[in-house]
Amino acid sequence: MRRILVIFILLFMLFCTGCQQETATSGQSLHVAALTGPLTLNPVFLRDSASAEIAGLLHPQLLVTDPKTLAPQPRLFTSWQLLEDKLTYIFTLHEDACWSDGKPLTTEDIAFTLRVICHPDYTGWLFLPLRYIAGAEGYKQEHRSPQATGELSGVTIIDEKKVQIRLKEPYAPFLAMLTFSPLPAHLLQEVAVADLEADAYSQELTVSAGPYLLADWQRAEYVHVRANPNYFLGQPDIENIYYRFIPNQEAQLIELLAGKLDIIPTAVRVEDIKTLKQNPDIAIHTNPRLVYDYLVINSQQADSALADKKVRQVLAMLLDRDEVIKNLLLGYGEPLYGPLLPMHFAYNETRKAEKVDLAAARRLLVEAGYAELKLTLIYNVGNTVRENVALMLKEKAASIGMEIKIELLEWEAFLAAVNEGDYDLAILGRGVEADPDLSVHWHSQSPGNSLAYHNEEVDQLTAEAVTTSEHSQRTLLYRQAEELIIKDVPAIWLYVRQAVHATNARLENFKPHPDSLFFNVHEWRLASEEETP
Amino acid sequence: MILSLLRRFAQTLLVLFGVSAATFLAMHAAPGHPLQANPELRLDPTAVERWLQLRQLDQPLLSQYLSWLSRVFRGDFGDSLLYNRPVVELIAERLPSTLLLTVTAFCLALFLAIVIGIYAATRQNSWLDRFVCTLSLAGISVPNFWFGIVLIILFAYRFPLLPSVGLRTPGDGSLLDILRHMLMPLFVMVAGNFAHYVRYVRSAILDVLNQDYIRAVRSRGLQEKEILYRHVLPNAAIPIITIAALSLPRLFTGAMVAEYVFGWPGIGRWIITSTMARDYPVIMTVNLYTASLVAMANFLADALYLLIDPRTR
Repeated sequence: MRRILVIFILLFMLFCTGCQQETATSGQSLHVAALTGPLTLNPVFLRDSASAEIAGLLHPQLLVTDPKTLAPQPRLFTSWQLLEDKLTYIFTLHEDACWSDGKPLTTEDIAFTLRVICHPDYTGWLFLPLRYIAGAEGYKQEHRSPQATGELSGVTIIDEKKVQIRLKEPYAPFLAMLTFSPLPAHLLQEVAVADLEADAYSQELTVSAGPYLLADWQRAEYVHVRANPNYFLGQPDIENIYYRFIPNQEAQLIELLAGKLDIIPTAVRVEDIKTLKQNPDIAIHTNPRLVYDYLVINSQQADSALADKKVRQVLAMLLDRDEVIKNLLLGYGEPLYGPLLPMHFAYNETRKAEKVDLAAARRLLVEAGYAELKLTLIYNVGNTVRENVALMLKEKAASIGMEIKIELLEWEAFLAAVNEGDYDLAILGRGVEADPDLSVHWHSQSPGNSLAYHNEEVDQLTAEAVTTSEHSQRTLLYRQAEELIIKDVPAIWLYVRQAVHATNARLENFKPHPDSLFFNVHEWRLASEEETP
Repeated sequence: MILSLLRRFAQTLLVLFGVSAATFLAMHAAPGHPLQANPELRLDPTAVERWLQLRQLDQPLLSQYLSWLSRVFRGDFGDSLLYNRPVVELIAERLPSTLLLTVTAFCLALFLAIVIGIYAATRQNSWLDRFVCTLSLAGISVPNFWFGIVLIILFAYRFPLLPSVGLRTPGDGSLLDILRHMLMPLFVMVAGNFAHYVRYVRSAILDVLNQDYIRAVRSRGLQEKEILYRHVLPNAAIPIITIAALSLPRLFTGAMVAEYVFGWPGIGRWIITSTMARDYPVIMTVNLYTASLVAMANFLADALYLLIDPRTR
């Protein structure tokens, strides 16, 4: 018995001290945490956040937006020119851009990718922003071949590195929509577009052109990528990046503290920040996001009290956003009072918040003829901030004689309830584009107008705003439209949360973009331990 | 005997068919579909429509079910709607790491439970027996989840001796590395399973020990060891086999606690996320597979009874 015990203890010690150094790889390694793994590596079928994050490592974008101002910046397209007609752009591709099999990345790849996106069998999300290209809608309706053959009338290849893209009508946000990545035409042009998502390319990614190349994908564990020596902006400094799937945040934190993880991206809990900041080996980074949370009001049911604008105004008078920011987000966010985000160039800093005035809210409610009112508020499981906002609203509403029943739903059931309009109030998030184009969500004819919001004047203003590229004029129009939207109270905007990242303090040049964690990853660098003070 | 086994087999097939039909109905009755418009994202209603069309999800339910059934008979379990890859492949990717953990834990726990259970039962009310009882009660009462987190805090954080998550260090993956990663989840699982099994083993043996025929053989002056091995164990085996056989299906469906707390890359979490995401082919295949395992385990238990206990023949 005793001998067995001794053997056990010895074995245990062996495990604990066992070989710790990496053997299979050379160069520096960076370990990034993720809650789940990607579904696909194909850059035109990104529907989940893990796939989108990984795409930032493996694929170069045509254009990027500035992480601070959101203005379009060169990337694969090194320059562009808008001709006199205000419709035709000429783009120049980077001289050194090439695929990892050595073939140059050419305008043929760009034209092919655009055809794939406009193909009737394409089921990714990229078509809507690109439907302004001349011939795009015709191609979608009339193209018959299962492959993305033929051509789009608006896309003309001038030479290997120059392409002309003509729009069917002036569309100012167009450049901001070119942040997607191209597909290699020489590999995929024979593949039927309907089969493209399930094609081996989406899994094995034998050829790509981004800062990193796929080395290994252990489906349930991690994605390993290796620096691309021929990346057109220069070989990245860090040789290996491991994107590890760790399903719970506590474990991620412990791994970070134990020095086995270098980045916990985006969703570090605000209540952990204080402790993490005290650790000299860990740095906290924040950046604003292009996502806001808002309270959606279902005013579509005719018999609902919410069809009455006054009742909706009452709701808008209840929540103190500053209190939410201070108490629930611990300051890591900004209050929001309208659909334009502080990052947008059209954002109106001078806009004053609605006053939180419970007595006035009560008077207005009685005036509207609802001395008593019962409403149902739904939100999804697993978001404590939204949960607390719901409770806060319930409490405030109770004090003016409005009863709000809170219902917690599983994610898919929640989405179904929202899509079917089976709710009075719902707390939702919404991702917005880098361009402030309000027509996407608020124009009555837009496919993105999920609230079925309708206001003729807003339609006119937002439609006019995309026809000019003058920022000053667009700002004016968007601010007018925003005022009108806010007055109609189709929703109550709550806050924009900051992305909070915890990283190894030795990681340098880490400057995440609101849309992309691995923005400019080729410039990242891990200082050696001696270099740090 | 063969006839009765055959009848059991036919019953099993019927049950499996019922399970698949019920799963199919329940799955489609649940709100939502895999590419449901997510209002938080940019979305394209026409693309969603085309996506459903290409995957025949716009067909009437009955024809969807029949086409699924006919494909299953041809051995085609379909492609995952999320991953766009064959479901069987996805299961095969995740099963080995699950089995590595669950089978090891199962064998260790059962072995320990039998040895210690016998030891405790034959020395009823001794300090060791009481210790085992208390320990198993504690093992049952303490949530695995909590126990796992305590272990992580102790051995990965306070005294950073062991890795806290995953199956291996990315880029390493040697046997030793995997063993080190396995240690904590294994310990938690063995502790939980052992606590369950040991109570069964102990009470099964005590039951037999109190039977008249044991008193009779004892009065014939047989040695205690002989009594134990020739008379007690074979008779106590049936409840032990039952509990062991009925835990078998669980080995194949994952170890949720280990997968969540220790980030073990197993099959259980994938099953749950697929269900949440309404990945229909995955849900159908996994349910069929689980139901088959349960049926097989029952079958196995019955067959073992036949082997061990002459009365059941």
